[in-house]
Amino acid sequence: MAVNNVSLEIEKGEFFTLLGPSGCGKTTLLRCVAGFVDIQQGQIFFGDRRMDTIPTHRRGVGMVFQNYAVFPHLSVQDNVKYGLKAHNVPAAEQVKRVKKVLSMVHMEGLEERLPNQLSGGQLQRVAIARVLAIEPEVLLMDEPLSNLDAKLRVETRGEIRALQQSLGITTIYVTHDQEEALSISDRIAVMNQGVVCQVARPWEIYSAPKDAFVAGFIGAANLIPVEVAGAREGVLIGSCGQVSLALPPQDGLEPGEQIKMALRPELIQILYQGETIPPTHWILAGRVTRVEYLGNMIKYEVSVADRVKLMVLSYHTDPSQLRKLGEEVRIHYPINRAMLFQEDQKA
Amino acid sequence: MVFTGSLQTSEGGPYTAKNFQKFSMYRTYWQSLGNSVGVSLAASLLTIIMAVPLAFLVARYNIPGKPFIIALSTIPLMVPSFLAAFSWILLLGRAGLLTPIIRSLGIPFESIYGHGGVAAIFTMQFFPYVFLMTLSGFNAVDESVEEAGRSLGTGPFKTFLKVSMPLVLPSILSGTLLVFMTAIENFGVPMIIGEQKPYLAVQAYMEFTSEVGEHPGMSFALSVILILVTMTSLMAQRYYLRKRNFIQSARGRPLVRELKGLSYYLATGYCYLVVIVPLIPFLVAMTVSFMETRGPVIYPRFSLQNYIYAFSHAARPIFNTYFLATMATLASLLIGVPTAYILTRRRSIVGDALDLSIMLPFTIAGTVLGIALIVMFNTGILVLTGTWMILALSYTIRKMPFIARSSSSILYQLDPALEEASVSLGVPPMKTFFKITIRLMAAGIMSGAILTWITTISELSSTIVLQTPGWSTITVEMFNGIISDEMGLAKAFATILIVTAIVPLLIMMKFIKEERASLF
Repeated sequence: MAVNNVSLEIEKGEFFTLLGPSGCGKTTLLRCVAGFVDIQQGQIFFGDRRMDTIPTHRRGVGMVFQNYAVFPHLSVQDNVKYGLKAHNVPAAEQVKRVKKVLSMVHMEGLEERLPNQLSGGQLQRVAIARVLAIEPEVLLMDEPLSNLDAKLRVETRGEIRALQQSLGITTIYVTHDQEEALSISDRIAVMNQGVVCQVARPWEIYSAPKDAFVAGFIGAANLIPVEVAGAREGVLIGSCGQVSLALPPQDGLEPGEQIKMALRPELIQILYQGETIPPTHWILAGRVTRVEYLGNMIKYEVSVADRVKLMVLSYHTDPSQLRKLGEEVRIHYPINRAMLFQEDQKA
Repeated sequence: MVFTGSLQTSEGGPYTAKNFQKFSMYRTYWQSLGNSVGVSLAASLLTIIMAVPLAFLVARYNIPGKPFIIALSTIPLMVPSFLAAFSWILLLGRAGLLTPIIRSLGIPFESIYGHGGVAAIFTMQFFPYVFLMTLSGFNAVDESVEEAGRSLGTGPFKTFLKVSMPLVLPSILSGTLLVFMTAIENFGVPMIIGEQKPYLAVQAYMEFTSEVGEHPGMSFALSVILILVTMTSLMAQRYYLRKRNFIQSARGRPLVRELKGLSYYLATGYCYLVVIVPLIPFLVAMTVSFMETRGPVIYPRFSLQNYIYAFSHAARPIFNTYFLATMATLASLLIGVPTAYILTRRRSIVGDALDLSIMLPFTIAGTVLGIALIVMFNTGILVLTGTWMILALSYTIRKMPFIARSSSSILYQLDPALEEASVSLGVPPMKTFFKITIRLMAAGIMSGAILTWITTISELSSTIVLQTPGWSTITVEMFNGIISDEMGLAKAFATILIVTAIVPLLIMMKFIKEERASLF
């Protein structure tokens, strides 16, 4: 089943993102709301109006497609007017709206252009303008940025968010890019294999993921399989092979239990000379096995043991503080910020 | 309706075949099967030998005047094959113009008559199928695939053999299948050049005309054989191609390489030779049409007598031809395009069955279809025999599959998101179909329609069976002219036909060029 027992409530004016890997059902769900896919069970409401029994062209949704679907035989202007004509908007009003939306997407002056004369980014704007012109109740966007190059993606997503906020239009946005989702959404629904794993605000999704999948999908997670060993000097210990790791205090953990532990890379720090470690941190010894210099930060892979290789994000980018490949280092992490997940996914 | 038509023929066939006791007749049928299949296979092979190198050269090298070459290559498809046969007789028949020249060169050449001649003419008439399909196959091969091959160690020629050829193979096969199917059901060429030897389509016609109306039994037996042969080859092709689904994302056009010096001239010469030789008969035809003729004798004097005669006495057939072709084309469009839409956009089991039944008319030879239609509509509720409608019906049945096929391939390339976008913007599905789908398919549909029209006006095999005194066509007049040795007249009709075929073709090419500018 592409979408299995999903129940969501989206607030008016909310920017709601469906996030997940390919095949998780997010696009199918979006297309259900649009009316391109029939649902076998359940209902869809816009406010208190039942929608799933109404055909697409009467739902008043505005859909922006992944490859734009701009009509190749119509000019920019005619593309934007297309929906207006279908909604029987009077001619004078049509002219006004076309002008308004084209300026919203910064496409003024390009009214007469044909699609084959436009770049990908421009086509995207036409697709958005076309949909805004009909002033839909719900805006649906199916991975609208995935065909743009990286820099343009980042710029445009900010513009889309700003536009949406100024118009206050309820928006459902589909993407597989977790950074994109985190940066522009009011709330995110993480989906996997047809099921919604978690619905929460971006910071909740990141810092309090409900299960190992969400933890691993959003940001890097450093998921480590751990066996609960027991308390030692007041600290809960788990072991992975020969390595001992401090676990945050949690009820209901039995010694011998197999769980998963996640550590966000930016929370792990390399111990530098002269630094003192807070008592709430746990120390590990390891060796640097990979160095990725990214300019504003450095990604290290630190091998603590054969099975425990941790990604560590460091902002100590000063050349004198760079660690070398093969170097022996000591790393530490705040015990309470580690995340634990029991085998059947619930933390 | 298509089904009942073919069922009819198969009903008549085995049923009356059992009744027929003559064993000697049996042998003739096996012979005709052997001859037709043999000649068609030979022609298929020859077209591959002739057209694939041509396609390769045109696709990969800097041959001058490519659009010209392509345009010229399509002409043989649009002109009746029996006309080519007849013109070649003028040149290479027993008393042909060129025959003594060839003999004097020491080549043991009797005449164009016989199996060899039939195969040769099939090759020259139908090679465009292989050429054009292979050409588009070559053009679709991504250059990066070939580059990858070369970077991995195979030289340019070996890369061609191991990488490009397999990718082009489906196109070559599709083209060859078309050649085979067209050749095997062809009536006119074996009729004229076959020297009375038995061929399937000719036999069917002969049987039918000798058993007029009463028991078109034997011809049905033959037609069943014909259908089986073509269906088998069609199935074989579908099966073979199903296992080789080559989806390529053509990022850029393949590299066109430079030829210099001798190879350049040789290549160019070959291309033009291949393309122009098949056109010789038409040039001959046009020349003769403007000459004074009396029966089979041609006087090398300029004269418009043939045209005057043609227009004054045969104005009706000329009108009929265009009228019927137009009707059939419209009908094919009205049935074919929506069918294509259902097939492509709403895939289902019903769709697959529909797809197959669409291809059925392709497999029925023209003569056979004509006979079947007469049998079906001779009595009962709908009596169409003897009216224009039966002719239009026959053409529609034969051409509609082509329109459906070409429309589906256009639809496959049309992003469904465009229709969805339209619907989501408030335009109901029906209106979307007309505003967006049809509009974007327009160029393709137009060229399909024009091709249909052009090939319909030169149709002979079913026309010759279905025609009645009031409803004759240009091709029938041509045929009669040839049979009764009225050289000039036949040629005049031929020229009229050719000219009226070329004009729409030119319009179509211009039309396509413009459309392509405004679409993606």
